[in-house]
Amino acid sequence: MEAIESNIETSDKDYKENYKHYELLVKDLKEKISVAQKGGGEEKIKLHKSRNKMLARERIDILLDPDTPFMEFNTLAGFGMYDNKAPCAGIVTGIGIIHGREVVIVANDATVTGGTYYPMTVKKHLRAQEIAMENNLPCIYLVDSGGAFLPKQDEVFPDREHFGRIFYNQAVMSSRGIPQISSVMGSCTAGGAYVPAMSDETVIVKGTGTIFLGGPPLVKAATGEEVTAEDLGGADVHCRESGVSDHYAHDDKEAIQMTRNIVENLNRPEKTHLDIKKPEDPAYDIKEIYGVISKNPRKPFEVREIIARIIDGSKFHEFKALYGQTIVCGFARIMGYPVGILANNGVLFSESAIKGTHFIEMCCQRKIPLVFLQNITGFMVGSKYEAGGIAKDGAKMVNAVATANVPRFTVIIGGSFGAGNYGMCGRAYQPRQLWMWPNARISVMGGEQAANVLLTVKKDQLWRQGKELTKEEEKKITEPILKKYETEGNPYYSTARIWDDGIIDPVDTRMVLGLGISASLNASIPDWRPGVFRM
Amino acid sequence: MSADGESEEGGCKTMFINYEHENHVYNVTIERRDHHYFVTYNNTEYKVKVEETKPGQLKIKLGDHIIKSIITEGDKEKYVFVDGNVYKVKPVELTGTKTTKKKQEGNLNSPISGKVVNVKVKKGDNVKKGDVLMVIEAMKMEYLIRAPFDGKIEKVNFKEKDQIEIGENTVDLTKK
Repeated sequence: MEAIESNIETSDKDYKENYKHYELLVKDLKEKISVAQKGGGEEKIKLHKSRNKMLARERIDILLDPDTPFMEFNTLAGFGMYDNKAPCAGIVTGIGIIHGREVVIVANDATVTGGTYYPMTVKKHLRAQEIAMENNLPCIYLVDSGGAFLPKQDEVFPDREHFGRIFYNQAVMSSRGIPQISSVMGSCTAGGAYVPAMSDETVIVKGTGTIFLGGPPLVKAATGEEVTAEDLGGADVHCRESGVSDHYAHDDKEAIQMTRNIVENLNRPEKTHLDIKKPEDPAYDIKEIYGVISKNPRKPFEVREIIARIIDGSKFHEFKALYGQTIVCGFARIMGYPVGILANNGVLFSESAIKGTHFIEMCCQRKIPLVFLQNITGFMVGSKYEAGGIAKDGAKMVNAVATANVPRFTVIIGGSFGAGNYGMCGRAYQPRQLWMWPNARISVMGGEQAANVLLTVKKDQLWRQGKELTKEEEKKITEPILKKYETEGNPYYSTARIWDDGIIDPVDTRMVLGLGISASLNASIPDWRPGVFRM
Repeated sequence: MSADGESEEGGCKTMFINYEHENHVYNVTIERRDHHYFVTYNNTEYKVKVEETKPGQLKIKLGDHIIKSIITEGDKEKYVFVDGNVYKVKPVELTGTKTTKKKQEGNLNSPISGKVVNVKVKKGDNVKKGDVLMVIEAMKMEYLIRAPFDGKIEKVNFKEKDQIEIGENTVDLTKK
């Protein structure tokens, strides 16, 4: 197979400046992640441990096979929200490996407001379940939660994608043969009690694990009965009397071991077969991506330089290299898995959209997973392009992306603006996973464009009334919009709200994609059924 | 994609094989005709008769020479024992390379329809290869027009804030 030869001069001044700038972005990302991973902070951690309980991350650590990776999702969920009182949104989710097979793990962090569910906690829990459903992965819930966060009940309880959906998903997954397993290692109060109750198999820890619909304070208020938490819903009650739990553990460690034993006996079906080769490192240092990406987001960069640094051996079988050149399509391998890559190299024109569509069709037929490297400022606008039918050509690509039968993975490596986001498999197109690089930007259009559009609309309105705007007044309209777009287009704003699965250091892109594809093979790939393409 | 492969040509079989031995790749063509193999390497054809005496043991007749050889297979490589020497060879796939596009060199035409936001040169200026002559903005991005060679600016075709169409010539530049 042919290999991409890099054209980058690492001694170049621009390269060095870009590299330095990007190092700072990554440093900032890592600091933010490390703060979030500390959960509720030193004091809460101390209190938690004094109760003979392990931390959420320690539990996950011993639950997984030794020396296997844990692909964590949405570490920065809730970032900058709720007065910063919900680091990680109080829940740890991700894909890990137990007895050689991938599982989805959802672990409450009781050091964060008692593990209660903020709106983003609910969203993160549901997203983890969605990942489990799409990839056919067993779910392990390490439960330690006080239930819904009561002050925000209107944002966590009543709607379709709220608390109740967690149990709905458990029932639906169980009916599809996706095992649901709970280990109760703290409170499971009220709604939370349904997590273990809705599970196929449940473990509970004596002394710390409790399951009840109403806790002791509520019972006292309702009936006057005075009872301890352990007597109301502890391990003895549920393993010996109620049958709500199946396995009795004396501490966290034993509970984790029992959970592993449950997974060992799941008899999971064979994974989908792909033509897998031995993984090979790229021919170039992955870290050089730091220098490739321009410090100035308005300056385009050559995307083949990025592709060369994330695929095996930098070997790329490019498709239609001379046609519709603003999108680069080609076959390659990532960690040994075959992939079809679509990467933006400029604005999308009709030709680029048609080329992308053709390429997606081939991958769907051949059942090759798709990787989208998104850096798109949009589809080309202007009378020439509208008359040329760019809307229908863009629609073809969106159609192919939406109906693709193969697992799709999106990495936003630059801008994600407008309809380009749709064509390149944005969040709404349900890629199996969507990751962002720390330099990414996402919004419906650029801030300047939005400000100008709104300004023009306002001017037209006033013009009809015979009025005009002064420069001052114009500024008053545009400035807040520019500011709003700057804030909301930031990747941390996005990741806090779970519009993506996390922000990653570009260096980890290969690993993340490799793990994602591996996990996706737990589900079968159906035959492709495209919709009607507007011709 | 792959140079390894077999093709049928008029009833005889041709195989193109690439072997790596001590970091050197040998491109070999093997044809089979009339119970003989014709091996072409470096534009020379060798007529060879091969007989497998035992599994993995070959008796090769090359002209008047008779070579006896034992071949064992490793994981990916083969070990060839000839006259007390061992050669480790590995079949490889032919690898072509493809260069990534050079930075917008050699083109004074606008790559996109947009607005001229910066004109860096005027008539009569001398410029060096790679110098930025004009900046065009479209779809939130800046596109740089760079001098494809050292030269003198004869005419600047657009001024700031002008609208420019894709493919339009930005400046006239004569080679020095």
